[in-house]
Amino acid sequence: MRTKKIVISIVAVVVAVVFAFPTYWMVTSALKPSKDLLSTGYDLLPTSITLQHVLDAVGKPNFAKMLGNSLFVSIGAVLCSLVAGLLAAVPLARLKFRGRKGFVLLLLVAQMAPFEALLIPMFLLMRDLDLLDQLPSLVLIYFAATLPFTAWTLRGFVQGIPVDLEEAAMVDGCGRWGAFRRVTLPLLGPGLVATSIFGFITAWNEFLYAFTFMKTDTNYTLPVWLSSFQTNFGTDWGGTMAASALFTVPVLIFFLFVQRNLVAGVTSGAVKG
Amino acid sequence: MTRNTNTAVPAGVSSPAPRSATVGGDTVGSRPAGPAKRRARRPQALPYLLLAPAVLAILALLGWPVISVAITSFRKLDLGELVRGEVTWVGLDNYREVLTDSDFWSITLRTVVFTGCCVAGIVLGGLVVSLLMRHVPPAVRVVLQLSMVLAWAMPIVAATTVFQWIFDQNYGILNKTLVKFGFDSFAGHAWFTTGFSTMTVIVVLIAWQGIPFAAFTLYAGMLSVPGDLYEAAGIDGANPWQTFRAVTWPAIRPLVTLTSFLSLLWDFKVFTQVWAMKEGGPNGESTTLPVLQYLKGIAGNHFGVAAAVSVLMIIVLVLVTAQYLRLLLRSQEVEL
Amino acid sequence: MKGWKGLAVGVTAVALAVAGCGSKSDSGSGSGGNKTLTVWLMTGSAPTTLTDALNKEFADAHPGVKVDYQVQQWDGIQQKLTTALASKTPPDVIELGNTQTAQFADQGTLTDLSGSVKDLNGDQWLAGLKESGAWKGKQYGFPFYAANRTVIYRKDLFQAAGIAQPPTSNAEWLDDIAKLKAANASDPEFQSLYLPGQSWYSLLSFIWDNGGDVATKSGDAFKAALDTPGAKAGVNFYKQLVDASGTKAPKDTDEAKPQQSDVFGKGKVAMMLALPWEAAGAIKADPTLKDKVSAFPIPSKDAGKTAPVFLGGSNLSIPATSQNADLAKDYLKLLSSAKYQGQLAKGGAVPGTSTDVSGMDSDPIASAMGKASKAGKVTPITPKWGPIEAGQNPLKNMLTAVLTGAKSVDDALAEANAAINKALS
Repeated sequence: MRTKKIVISIVAVVVAVVFAFPTYWMVTSALKPSKDLLSTGYDLLPTSITLQHVLDAVGKPNFAKMLGNSLFVSIGAVLCSLVAGLLAAVPLARLKFRGRKGFVLLLLVAQMAPFEALLIPMFLLMRDLDLLDQLPSLVLIYFAATLPFTAWTLRGFVQGIPVDLEEAAMVDGCGRWGAFRRVTLPLLGPGLVATSIFGFITAWNEFLYAFTFMKTDTNYTLPVWLSSFQTNFGTDWGGTMAASALFTVPVLIFFLFVQRNLVAGVTSGAVKG
Repeated sequence: MTRNTNTAVPAGVSSPAPRSATVGGDTVGSRPAGPAKRRARRPQALPYLLLAPAVLAILALLGWPVISVAITSFRKLDLGELVRGEVTWVGLDNYREVLTDSDFWSITLRTVVFTGCCVAGIVLGGLVVSLLMRHVPPAVRVVLQLSMVLAWAMPIVAATTVFQWIFDQNYGILNKTLVKFGFDSFAGHAWFTTGFSTMTVIVVLIAWQGIPFAAFTLYAGMLSVPGDLYEAAGIDGANPWQTFRAVTWPAIRPLVTLTSFLSLLWDFKVFTQVWAMKEGGPNGESTTLPVLQYLKGIAGNHFGVAAAVSVLMIIVLVLVTAQYLRLLLRSQEVEL
Repeated sequence: MKGWKGLAVGVTAVALAVAGCGSKSDSGSGSGGNKTLTVWLMTGSAPTTLTDALNKEFADAHPGVKVDYQVQQWDGIQQKLTTALASKTPPDVIELGNTQTAQFADQGTLTDLSGSVKDLNGDQWLAGLKESGAWKGKQYGFPFYAANRTVIYRKDLFQAAGIAQPPTSNAEWLDDIAKLKAANASDPEFQSLYLPGQSWYSLLSFIWDNGGDVATKSGDAFKAALDTPGAKAGVNFYKQLVDASGTKAPKDTDEAKPQQSDVFGKGKVAMMLALPWEAAGAIKADPTLKDKVSAFPIPSKDAGKTAPVFLGGSNLSIPATSQNADLAKDYLKLLSSAKYQGQLAKGGAVPGTSTDVSGMDSDPIASAMGKASKAGKVTPITPKWGPIEAGQNPLKNMLTAVLTGAKSVDDALAEANAAINKALS
């Protein structure tokens, strides 16, 4: 039994190393001097290290502003899609009504929409709503992009919470809204967090809409910064890698922050009613 | 200038890379909805009111653009028409343009096979990784989960570039490592000279980006299996395989369906990674439908043609997933 | 689903309502009362000292006009331009790649500048760029700047190999490659010439030098001309260079993968066919190369001449939907003045509207480029060419097939010829 555990552990560590390797390569590439990026030697460990690329990346104009914009659109989109998603998830999971199946189908089919191909109609829509060059247009777009997934997944979470708990609370005189607020919502916390990661990463990474719909320098988001190292005069790959590594940090923080809840939530949400 | 102005259409929302751990779908606690039936007799307004924001947002922000793409596919919409707001109907010309391309069907077939490989890789890989997560000691599990998150959070531009570097024929760490282990024939081996080899590298990239999502989802599903079931299986003397078949698999099967479905939708539409790797080459041998859409439509600003490809892609997707949709809907019926 | 049909009608209303979701937004740039001239230039196109001075001088000369100057990046620019032209407030001056201008002009999206050419210093315009900005007899592009490839080389390595003067003919060039190779035979990493298999802009030089062309104009249409002896001779010379130099560059990529400036910067390469800023990139990676790098024009098969080169560059255009076309013309006029053109030259680019390239003389690489630019040529001027470059360029596949020996030169050229004809039709 013991040797079996050890063997499995070794396999797991090997898998972990393989999966983390590209990230490792990104980080070392960010720290290598430019001339070491293409190396003929065997350079699993970088031979020399510089912070130049990192400084270059942070020193780009409007970095702080773009960071703020990115946080605004990502968090804004996540909040919108959680609220609308939750409102939709509850009836889909708990209530029976005409057309319910149709809505579930709508959520599934909505995810087939080829998002990049919607650029032009989306642009015309935003133009006619006078939302171009305004960050809320991006909030709307990312909200739409993540909503079907969020609603669908939250529906699963709501189903996982025993109805009896809610009913007990109602018997105690809470009323339906009170029962939802005091019982269901707290239990849903981890579920909301889990789906929010999806929304966050999606909005955080999106470039094409962010670049084409914004006009003013100070309205850009971080993905625009990320691709600003590609110029007519060649690409500063060291800078790109440094920026990418920095770009990943907020996502990691977000994940580490919610990860414990995630697992705890799964187990608690899974209590069979 | 001398550089293409549009070599890479970057990370889009529908791209598969950033995926998030989720628990859900239909697994957790599906139960007979007795109380729901009771409520069902109450006035019907409430569910519709609650659903209204989501449904209206989806219809306005996804439904309308999709419909307008469908309409556009029957129009000539080049740059000039777009700028001047002209409407020029061309009937089925855009479809003719796409469908008469002698390569269309082979590209479609290639896209379906490519998607199938990605989905298989992601789901199997995700299953293996999630089983590892379930069975290793906590310390190792943290290491494994952390490396999954790292893979997941890496921006697409960095991921595709790093993969190209790893597979570079002269400077790539892979060839150098293979030579170190004695496979001398890999010195200067070019990984992108054939369509098959190029597609394989792309599938590896997509699977690497997609496995974390699948692994976390399936792992979450496994956690919902009460521990006493495993104990019972242990007492009955079941071997690991039997335990998996009897206990784990039934619990995660709906999640496997869900993960496959989502991966399928996402991987079918992948453009950035495919294009960045070899621009659909060599000799068009790694061209998929999204690449065709770029070549025929976007690169020349022929948005009508691009829209026609979109519509064809949705049709293929619906055909491929019809079975899934039916399955998922049937499970709905069981629940209610 | 019955009850839902009615609700679906309120689609726009909801989009508006949901817009409230984003809460406070910083609203876009306010155009306060007066006129705003919006200028979009690409990142790195002109030195910031130039644009700063230009924008200031323009604003000073036009009271009440604000210049909204924005630097755009290359990634995604096609979508950005496309959508911007269709927006309510399009930019007033845009920068277009010279191989793209015809595509935009053909769609009627650009202002005809024919009447203003003279006013914009037209008699000094760089011929190749002027040509690329013209479509169906009208001028839509204002030449901004150009650049062309030269042979960037290492003076120290040439000296060590006993080469006193840069080559002035293809024969000498091949000789020098042999000498460099011999002098560095002990270094397995050394490459006398770095030439990736798909450097097709370099191929254009060789094809033109041999009297061939990619496509020739007949009437209003272009017809591929890769089945001509000139094209074949060009491809053969390319192959000769690859074989003679034994370059280790991949045969199935262009100069961007891996970036040839990075390869050159590693110090083991004696020559590359490159643009001046690629030398700058290499020097940035290894500053000790600064005094060792120079350039000579791409030699010709005829001794003493230089080969024609592809003139890459940008045109400036005024969108047809611009509401400030006259102001925009004023802006171009100011840019076409000797002062700013001189600054462009000093910045290391071939200026578009001035024949005075003396500003480039101080830099050996720029001056080599300036000399060669006079024989600059461009790719077929047709809206159909842009998508060829942006898509799967048949010339690249052709080169790879020839260099790897997968196909004979004749077969590969015939195939590429057919593919280009298809794309141009």
